[in-house]
Amino acid sequence: MASLIEQFKQYWLAESLERDLGDPNDPKNVISFQQTAQIDESEAFPHDEIAWLYNWQLQRYYVPTDCGGEFTSFEEFVSFVRVMARRDLNISIAFTTLFWSFLTWMVGTPEQKQKLMNYIINDHGAMCLSYSERDHGSDLVGGDTVAVKVPGGYRFTGEKWPINRATISGLTYVLARTNEEGGNRGLSLFMVDKSELDPASYSNLPKIKTHGIRAADMSGIKFDNCFVPESALLGKEGQGLELALKGFQITRALCAAFSQGAADTTLRTTLKFALNRQLYGKKTVLDMLDVRRSFIFGFLDFLTCDCVIFVAACGFHVVPEQFSVWSAVDKYFVPVTLEKMMQDISVVLGARFYMRDEHDAGVFQKMLRDSAIISVFDGSSVVNLHALILQRRQLAKARARRKPTQLEPLLARLKNSFALDQPLPAFAPQKLELISRGADDVMHGLEPTLDQLKSLVGAADVNQTMLQEAIALVEVIREELDAQDEQIAQSGFEHGHDQSFESFELAKHYCRLHAGLACVQMWLHNRHQLGDFFAKGEWLVLCLHRLLSQKRLDLPPVAEAYYEAIAEEMLRLYHEDKMFSIVPFQLARSGQSSDSAEEVTPELQLQA
Amino acid sequence: MNTTTANTQTAASPVEAIQVWLVNQLAEVLSLDPSTIEVKQPLTRYGLDSIDAVTLVGDLEDWLDLELPSTLLWDYPTIEKASTYLVDEFEVSLDA
Repeated sequence: MASLIEQFKQYWLAESLERDLGDPNDPKNVISFQQTAQIDESEAFPHDEIAWLYNWQLQRYYVPTDCGGEFTSFEEFVSFVRVMARRDLNISIAFTTLFWSFLTWMVGTPEQKQKLMNYIINDHGAMCLSYSERDHGSDLVGGDTVAVKVPGGYRFTGEKWPINRATISGLTYVLARTNEEGGNRGLSLFMVDKSELDPASYSNLPKIKTHGIRAADMSGIKFDNCFVPESALLGKEGQGLELALKGFQITRALCAAFSQGAADTTLRTTLKFALNRQLYGKKTVLDMLDVRRSFIFGFLDFLTCDCVIFVAACGFHVVPEQFSVWSAVDKYFVPVTLEKMMQDISVVLGARFYMRDEHDAGVFQKMLRDSAIISVFDGSSVVNLHALILQRRQLAKARARRKPTQLEPLLARLKNSFALDQPLPAFAPQKLELISRGADDVMHGLEPTLDQLKSLVGAADVNQTMLQEAIALVEVIREELDAQDEQIAQSGFEHGHDQSFESFELAKHYCRLHAGLACVQMWLHNRHQLGDFFAKGEWLVLCLHRLLSQKRLDLPPVAEAYYEAIAEEMLRLYHEDKMFSIVPFQLARSGQSSDSAEEVTPELQLQA
Repeated sequence: MNTTTANTQTAASPVEAIQVWLVNQLAEVLSLDPSTIEVKQPLTRYGLDSIDAVTLVGDLEDWLDLELPSTLLWDYPTIEKASTYLVDEFEVSLDA
């Protein structure tokens, strides 16, 4: 079958990076499983591997084109983060601290942007984000680090901990109190160039030993009446909290790519085991029905998470003002779903999942340990669910007040967010908002989506049985959302941190409903351009069924043949070395070497 | 800025009317006795954190049918200051 991806140039970069990194199962290749296992055991920072990525010029894709770089699309960004993440989370996270640069692309002066561009692209510089403190994790406003105004700048005093790359970085974003009275306008954000600091007035804190990403530079930084020049201030004094929260919308939505990479490897390595291990006569482990079903569920979870992160990556360009909601959904749903998927699939590996040297250099247990931090950092699951709970009432009200005149623009935005062949508008971070004012296009698209599905009844190019099943499941989504909106309208809605258990459960369910609608709209907008498996839609019915049956026990069962179709596609992608994805781009082929000159086509050379 | 039609049912000035609304809203969402809420005190004193304050602006927008800066309650962090700002900036007058 001809590659689907050829027409989607937003995936060419990831495919090129894959080719040049080569097969991670081959220990001779850079960032191989064996090499990263050794790095993990040694807990030594992977300088060489990160240098390889800089030499490949990947850092250009963290700098927007209007600031001198090559970044144009979060869809492209997510795909290459997955390429790194499937090999090693520590390296991909350590390299991707570069994405904090969006704070500067958002509000920096032309001089600050120029300086940063040069630092990243030419100096191969790295950065860290110094917000957290020992006694104030998620509570940013409560921080104790102060920046006292003095002639020409500020004097910083305080400690930031735990901070990834606090030591091995030349630049740090720091949130510090500039107004003694504190409060929501008491914080300011700084882009601190460590080379401009007096080395005697700041120091690094010791490396923290961690359960996962053991070779990470997880440490801290301490300021002791440290002078920081005025030129380091980002935005205005007092704008720190607002900028921090907006910056988190970007990173929360994209963290899911790390989870996807880790989950891809765990599924792939377990499948390899299951296909090659024979038991009880001629059966392989994969032929055992309950094992087969575990894999199918795992692959379905993949496809669902894919739809969620895909629409987040594209939606950023279309409706950035809605990302206080979308980023919270994405950051909660994807890491938690994929963590559970990895735990469920570990059963198949049996004792081997627990071993550090066996089967693909023990990559399974390493990915499990490494990925556990994703649902915690940049705003934990609790923080994101809480953010969603606070907006839930506005979301319900806005849904009730939808006007017919809003329909056409909504449909246009949905098409732009979901259809792979639609060019994305330039990302406009200045349009990020702290609240979405009740807007969530994915959810508000429910009724038009149902109408679009019904309009396909009788269409020759749609499997009608599948269509009826999908329609029935979207009707269930509507029932669930209506019931939830009603419950919220009736309940005594509370602000503050004492949210009830029920509120959290409602928020989790909202995320599942959002994910379900993302799957449906993904299918509707792309069913002509992602191949037969995607178009036939068995995956859609099963993904919806799986999401909804966590709460609804009355759903009719899905035909066995649908499950088999999923297994076949998963195996096809495995044998063709393609990403487990609704957009299955090509991975390095088994046996492919790093930097194989004959594999790199001239037009995709990315050397400066 | 938009001006909503004045309603003569209440003799309260627009600033007072907004203050009363904010006191009642805060009391409801934080489960407090409205008589304990003082208009000159910072809202954080009553347990309204940064994200809550932004969400409350959303409620204000619905009530006044206006688009407001989402950080309004950060920049005008007492009920008194916020009410005065709203009336000065948006020429608000109230229906019930």
